[in-house]
Amino acid sequence: MKFVQICDQVEANAGEVDRTALIGTWINSNLDTTSIARVKISDANGRLQLQVFAIGPDGLIDWGTSDAQIFAGGPSSRTGVGFTCRYDFGFAEARLQAMIMKGLLVLAQFHLFKDDSGRADYFLREYFALSHDRF
Amino acid sequence: MLQAPFKQRSHLNPELSAAGANLEKLLGRWLNTNRETRGIAECTVAKDGDQIKVSIVGVGDDGLMAWPTVTAHALANLEEEAGQRTGALMATFEFDFMRVDTHMRINKGVFVIVLFVMFLDDSGRSNYLNREFFYRG
Repeated sequence: MKFVQICDQVEANAGEVDRTALIGTWINSNLDTTSIARVKISDANGRLQLQVFAIGPDGLIDWGTSDAQIFAGGPSSRTGVGFTCRYDFGFAEARLQAMIMKGLLVLAQFHLFKDDSGRADYFLREYFALSHDRF
Repeated sequence: MLQAPFKQRSHLNPELSAAGANLEKLLGRWLNTNRETRGIAECTVAKDGDQIKVSIVGVGDDGLMAWPTVTAHALANLEEEAGQRTGALMATFEFDFMRVDTHMRINKGVFVIVLFVMFLDDSGRSNYLNREFFYRG
């Protein structure tokens, strides 16, 4: 088994990573965000799918759906605790990297501009809570 | 005047036009705060002309394992909590059996690497994520 860090030398049996903990609608904890307001994560025929709604000048902007890559907590774990995903808007690309920490979804965003607007590529990191109807 | 295209309000932040990535604090040699780590022992971030190069050393079976040095993508940081404005880096390390997407940033003086590891072989290992913390060496 090849590795470049000893933690990757593990016994493992191929199997699907459980995506249960990620499924649902995650709401930004920052009421004043100028970025993503909520993320809807669903299981689409065995694929992890995202739908992002971001804050626009005149209301929410639906980014549409995109497939995400799921990540477990370790190389021998089968519990999904994070994902990566890309949105290509033509003028810019948004790369998302997320992980569940202490019950919150920590979402890092990388915005890479492809147009000639002169805007700098930038990074954002915000916290999201899973919406529920228990209390 | 035409408005630049956007998909969220922060795309229109006027500070983006003047933003530099502000990476000085990221430069240098960083050592893992966990001396028992079985992952990354150290990381070096260096300027090479206009580019930022990142070198990682992993902990191996019987010694350290140098990963190939890669060029990082620098990003400005406009709005992170607690007014932190040091930029972030994004870098991808590719091996024949795995690919590692990372981002790196400073949080309260600690250098943080977040890794998203994807196995390309048939070892049965799960793709996984990990976070490691480093102090200035």
